[in-house]
Amino acid sequence: MNRIKEIISALEQTANHPAKAVKASMQETGKKAVGCFPYYTPDEIIYAAGMLPVGLWGGQTDIKLADKYLQSFCCSIMRINVEQGMKGMYDFLSAVVIPTYCDTLKCICDNWQVAVPQTYLIPMVYPQHRKIAAGMIYLIDEYKRVQKEFETIAGKKITEKDLEDSIALYEDYRKTMQYFTALVSKYPITLNAKTRHLIIKAAYFMDKGLYTAKVKELMKELKKLPEEKLDGIKVVVTGILAETDALLDAFVQNQMVFVADDLAQESRQFRTCARSTGTALERLAYRIADHDGCSLLYDEEKKHGQLLIDLVRENHADGVVVCMMKFCNPEEFDYPIYKKELEAAGIPMLYLEIEQKMDSAEQIRTRIQSFAEMIK
Amino acid sequence: MFLGIDIGSSSSKAVIINTQLKILGKAVVNTGAGTQGPEKAVEAALREAGLSREEIKFSVVTGYGRITYDKADKQITEITCHARGAAYMMPGARTVIDIGGQDAKVIRLDKNGKVENFVMNEKCAAGTGRFLEVMARILDCGIENLSTLSDNANEEIIISNTCTVFAESEVISQLAAGAKRENVAKGAHKAVAKRVAGLGSRIGLTPDVVMTGGVALNKGVVAALEKEIGQKITVVENPQIIGAIGAALYALEISSKLQ
Repeated sequence: MNRIKEIISALEQTANHPAKAVKASMQETGKKAVGCFPYYTPDEIIYAAGMLPVGLWGGQTDIKLADKYLQSFCCSIMRINVEQGMKGMYDFLSAVVIPTYCDTLKCICDNWQVAVPQTYLIPMVYPQHRKIAAGMIYLIDEYKRVQKEFETIAGKKITEKDLEDSIALYEDYRKTMQYFTALVSKYPITLNAKTRHLIIKAAYFMDKGLYTAKVKELMKELKKLPEEKLDGIKVVVTGILAETDALLDAFVQNQMVFVADDLAQESRQFRTCARSTGTALERLAYRIADHDGCSLLYDEEKKHGQLLIDLVRENHADGVVVCMMKFCNPEEFDYPIYKKELEAAGIPMLYLEIEQKMDSAEQIRTRIQSFAEMIK
Repeated sequence: MFLGIDIGSSSSKAVIINTQLKILGKAVVNTGAGTQGPEKAVEAALREAGLSREEIKFSVVTGYGRITYDKADKQITEITCHARGAAYMMPGARTVIDIGGQDAKVIRLDKNGKVENFVMNEKCAAGTGRFLEVMARILDCGIENLSTLSDNANEEIIISNTCTVFAESEVISQLAAGAKRENVAKGAHKAVAKRVAGLGSRIGLTPDVVMTGGVALNKGVVAALEKEIGQKITVVENPQIIGAIGAALYALEISSKLQ
């Protein structure tokens, strides 16, 4: 149990102190670091270049400078990222990759070069039509373009083997995290909502290979212990992310267990694996083509609702918690569609409007507690 | 005896019931969370019931101020308590609309009176009692007289701004341009009704629709809301204390289970 506590504590520290953790990782590995804006970026290529991909998922920074470029009614994660960039908090990064999944990201891409000129920008445009051949040809071209950028920064050529090794490492990470998230229902007390989140989040601020080894060790130690029983409420949580401490504490206090998630910051990163055939870049491209049920990736067939229904059924969940990131258009547009499907399927839902910085958690706490009372 | 306390943002309510579900004492005090209001409400209810605190077997607290109130045996959210209270007072109720001082909620009940879904607006003053307080102040009329004022309206003024702060400016401009106070009052009622109807449409408004909370005392708002949702609304007797009644009912139920 002590080893479990040690590993969890270390990962929680990493998640709670990202800048410190990244710098420590850079020192430990001798690698440069490249920041990656949400949501999907060519991390494998960055890693193949011998650099650390670092997730940039906002934080608790107060907004002062970012108001110059972004209105108050836009995604708080992105506003905080711009703020952090403008404050110089990303100065130690060799570059920043900004993909353009939404209008806010597109605007930031435009503004970054004047707002944060000291941090080199690598924009990346993923195709909307990702399931057609033209979309794949285009995406592979984009990968080739950014690959050259990473080679220049790293000062080394990326070979096909480098890419394949990197993909193998990232696929190992994905499989490991799939096993980890499935383990939560067996250890709902140790892997409560807050601890679970921090363990998953730590991945963004460490070398992926080292991180995966840590999570594997944690799971091995946990499985030595008897399964935990908790008379709680099992939920599937969906949205961009489910933070901060106040929100997660409310779930823990009401004994809500995250038996599965459909969060962009969490399972959406690792629930889809790469195909086993094709060149390395083809495998990366087709992983994006195969990844469904995410509001940020255009899906003609609108599979998001069915994905949530399947997650509820497979995990015997009592309901779905929607963590709607305020002002997130892609998520807001998906919501009415899957809401209708979940209602038709008789699945209880809790809708929470959240922001990155939530100074007053009382309203959220009341809603979460009311949902718990409703289900029980 | 069982005590239910509802500590809202602008008022505190207390209800005492016995095992026969008879209300022995009730009180509403016009100060809420963070004040002496809750204790005053409890004392007033005890006085009416002719009881001492020691005779209370179990107490449940609900409302905005429930977390910091440490003199109750259990805290339960206002969603659950309002639903319970409304279902008890109006069996057959399937939708509860509660408009309080600072928030508005719509609760859908199943046929057994249990909460099936709910939606809340507690960030924005539009559609809450706070909006009406602001309007009453501009119209130089007590909040309790807003409904009577609007009865004499001969025209409905549209208040186009949703935001209470902007709406205040808009109403001042209209009065300055010669609009009648009565017509503005009617417009204020419609503004609240539109906002709450919009909130309710997110979970659907199944009849029978009942209204609770302090704003239910305003007949003008009730009439405007009926028109907006196209359904009859029943205002529960003593709408302000429904949350406290629900809390008292839960106090009785939990106490029975513990024995």
